[in-house]
Amino acid sequence: MAVKELFAQLHEIAENPRAQLDKYLAQGKKVVAVAPIYTPEEIIHSMGIVPMGVWGADLELNEAKKYFPAFISAIVQSILECGIRGDYKGVSALVVPSLCDNLMVLGQNWKYAVPDIPYVPMSYPQNRKPAYGKKFCKASYERVINDLTIATGCKYSHPALRESIKIYNEHNAVMREFAELASEAKISAVERHDVFKSAWFMLKEEHTAIVKQINEELKNGPKADETARVYVSGVLADAPQLLKVFDDNGVKIVFDDVAAESRQYRTDCPEDFQDPIDGMAQKWANMDNCSFLYDRDKKRVGMIVEQAKAHKAQGVIVLMTKFSDTEEFDFVPIKRACEKEGIQILNIEVDRQMVNYEQASTMIQAFKEMI
Amino acid sequence: MGEEVKKSRPAPDPNSAKFKLGKIAADAYTDAIAAKERGELVGWCASNFPVEIPETLGLYVCYPENQAAGIAARGGGVRLCNEAESEGYSNDICAYARISLAYLKVKDAPEQNMPQPDFVLCCNNICNCMIKWYENIAIERNIPMYLIDIPYNPDYEVSDAEVEYVREQFWDVIHSLEEYTGKKWSDEKFKEVMEYSGKASRMWIEATSQAKYIPSPFNGFDLLNHMAVMVTARGKKEAGEAMEQLLKEYKENHENGTSTFRGEEKYRIMFEGIACWPWLRVTSTGLKSRGINMVTTIYADAFGFIYDDFDGMCRAYANVPNSMNLEQSRDKRIKLCKDNHVEGLLVHTNRSCKLWSGFMPEMSRQIGEACGIPVVSFDGDQADARNFSEAQYDTRVQGLMELMEANKAGKEDK
Amino acid sequence: MYTLGIDIGSTTSKAVILNENKEIVAQSIVVATVGTNGVSKAIENVMTESGLTMDDMACSTATGYGRQTYDGATYQVSELSCHAIGVHHVFPDARTVIDIGGQDAKVLSINDSGKMSNFIMNDKCAAGTGRFLDVMANILQLDISELEVEAAKAEDAVSISSTCTVFAESEVISQLANGIPIPELVKGICESVAIRVASQARRGGIREEVVMSGGVARNAGVRNAMEKELGVTIRYSELSQLMGALGAALYGLNKINA
Repeated sequence: MAVKELFAQLHEIAENPRAQLDKYLAQGKKVVAVAPIYTPEEIIHSMGIVPMGVWGADLELNEAKKYFPAFISAIVQSILECGIRGDYKGVSALVVPSLCDNLMVLGQNWKYAVPDIPYVPMSYPQNRKPAYGKKFCKASYERVINDLTIATGCKYSHPALRESIKIYNEHNAVMREFAELASEAKISAVERHDVFKSAWFMLKEEHTAIVKQINEELKNGPKADETARVYVSGVLADAPQLLKVFDDNGVKIVFDDVAAESRQYRTDCPEDFQDPIDGMAQKWANMDNCSFLYDRDKKRVGMIVEQAKAHKAQGVIVLMTKFSDTEEFDFVPIKRACEKEGIQILNIEVDRQMVNYEQASTMIQAFKEMI
Repeated sequence: MGEEVKKSRPAPDPNSAKFKLGKIAADAYTDAIAAKERGELVGWCASNFPVEIPETLGLYVCYPENQAAGIAARGGGVRLCNEAESEGYSNDICAYARISLAYLKVKDAPEQNMPQPDFVLCCNNICNCMIKWYENIAIERNIPMYLIDIPYNPDYEVSDAEVEYVREQFWDVIHSLEEYTGKKWSDEKFKEVMEYSGKASRMWIEATSQAKYIPSPFNGFDLLNHMAVMVTARGKKEAGEAMEQLLKEYKENHENGTSTFRGEEKYRIMFEGIACWPWLRVTSTGLKSRGINMVTTIYADAFGFIYDDFDGMCRAYANVPNSMNLEQSRDKRIKLCKDNHVEGLLVHTNRSCKLWSGFMPEMSRQIGEACGIPVVSFDGDQADARNFSEAQYDTRVQGLMELMEANKAGKEDK
Repeated sequence: MYTLGIDIGSTTSKAVILNENKEIVAQSIVVATVGTNGVSKAIENVMTESGLTMDDMACSTATGYGRQTYDGATYQVSELSCHAIGVHHVFPDARTVIDIGGQDAKVLSINDSGKMSNFIMNDKCAAGTGRFLDVMANILQLDISELEVEAAKAEDAVSISSTCTVFAESEVISQLANGIPIPELVKGICESVAIRVASQARRGGIREEVVMSGGVARNAGVRNAMEKELGVTIRYSELSQLMGALGAALYGLNKINA
């Protein structure tokens, strides 16, 4: 299939998660919604359940305002809004990790706002690496298994988890390869995003198959010709109008540190553990370079500088999800590090109620004029 | 204005709880400053970090949250917030964190100075924001950070897995601190500290529970001040003694029919949230002038760390108000409302605190229904004076009063 | 040879015609919101004033919030770059530009070769923008141009602590009710804008000379408060409101000469 058709296929899926949900439900599958930032998707997948990502949507907040004050992140607010509106009808549960204050309050409100979809908490340890951290992580995974068994009737088994881990590791590798290829290939910001976004709404084995084909096409396809190359960081780079601003201005996203995109695929799960849940806990221990993961050394900051340089980015654009304080704290060290390295940095505040991209457009255009 | 005759205030009674508590709070700063001058290591410590650890090890620590509140109450909050914002910190970030990160840079705030840190002790049982804030301190100063990670507990009870996780971290942090500071852990000393902390906690809880009497023997705004000692010094012997004195005074007030609440107590409310420090006088006057006494707050419960052994301590720190799920948080407040005959709930929607305010609308609805009391909220901030409107506050409080009045009238009709 | 610069702002449209010696031949400012015929009016004005026609223009450059919806221009450049170019032309030693416009506040850094090297824009809220001053002027039933006059009358400023426009509105109203004289209030409002923008400016780093451009620059109340807040002398020109259009015309001229 031509690369444009493959992109079109993923675009369709990225834009219509409801159709995907209905498709899986019609196949008799159970579907579980997974909230940002990380959840043990491999485990959910291994139980024969389809995990589908929920990162909210660009919409007006009405019902969610009954539960949240204004200063809670729009991602979390819009997840609740979608839940109340019935957008997730048919989903058997919502798994929410304990990774920031916004997410903690989402879980608590969910129980009352969307009582027909059970809330399954995933308590991750922040002291991830010591043995006691891994032990607690394992206990939390087991709790998720237990809750999901009750919610869906689906059963857990070690062999099935081993199989799912392999599927996820392969998907990670394919996505990492895609991100590298997209750095040099002729590909629009919208197309690049569709590849990442569609992954949230598909069984990973299905997504892997398509992205593999895309990767082959990109290897032989035309090279990027944009003059401005930027590295993008943030929680989400989701809004089509915003991505269009990049494309319209000839600003190429060469690599990303976006939570919903590359951050998901950096770490594989070790496959050599007797008990694969221990392997999952080890994966969590191995994860780093993310504002939502405790890191005294802020290794993420150095990583951003290195990745930006390695991909010949002339600037770093931070798409700051308003009220995501976790990301807001990291911005200052990132800014300082970029300035020290002579990398231009731009901070654009985004939320999910943007009707007007004028200011963002002006900023991106000016950024291009400057770098 | 002409010659104003200043009312001569009587010299404070050195045996009063107010004097004792004030001295303990002030000493915490002067002791740390003196220690730093002697060349000792001084840490910055999160308010709900197990104080038993530095206390047993004999480490000097200061409390940035306490400092930020002090700076904000004395009018310096906006200056320091602006300083942090010039560094690139968003004005959406917790104002305590902004003040503290700015202080790290300017190193001087006449409102409340404290020594710069040699290490930080972090605990996220009050919010995840603590981790990010302390990471930035640690990286800025290039100093060690010790994190006791207490994940938000989604369940009503603290699980054994969580207690074990917390316990292991306690020991890990203790051993790392021994190594870094050269101080030694002593089980005997820990037992002593545990007793002091237990006594202070018991006295605090009992003192605050004196609000069960009508009228209450104290003005609840007192608690906001006295609480500082529970934050910073609950593991010290003097804290227990001062709290005992406080309890004694409140009991005497009740017996004598007096109160630290000036004027007639017409209505009794619970105040929800951290105080609006920059507007303390305004928020307090708005209530007092209408005869509304804030008789209780969750703080009455928050700093009661009562336990029998090490595991009990771990469990207690995993069960502080901000790490509880909605149901347990709600039930604790319903109990406070009922025990203290609360007639209305005033909720501070605190822009600085996502975790505390994030499910407050739902929880306060449930409390209001369970107790049959009106609930009114206002927008404010614990330390950024810019996020508060006096006019809004005044209207809301008046509205609450009118609702309580209507409730009373309704009850009399029956 | 002539070039035309058009700056389509949120509340005003500006046009400048330059000759090849970079001299202003004609200029116009028309008060009209984006989407109305303000642009055509401004262009018509400069043509009439100079006796030239569109055919005489070697090129035209559009900037400002309305630049993308205006399709009559040869080039289209962001107002950030245009302000930097315009200010650098008038003040060759300028290194920091503070531009408070109707919808946003921008702080630009200019390097020694006159190029924009960094910029900071306000976050999503309206505090510290021209919009904030509009709202406040409205409450006080003053014209925006009267703010300067009123602020100059005051010895002291009453502090307006709220930055949220809605809160500040109620704060100003209650101060009015408390009988605070209008000049003191206006001075306080100007200071509030200055404090807000100054903290944004420090984020980008302040290098002298500091120049204010944009419509709000004409307001001496804000300018003085900003000087006090930043502790530097702030320069400004009668052309401040035209800096964007001037920069746009210069951009076109540079393109042609390149």
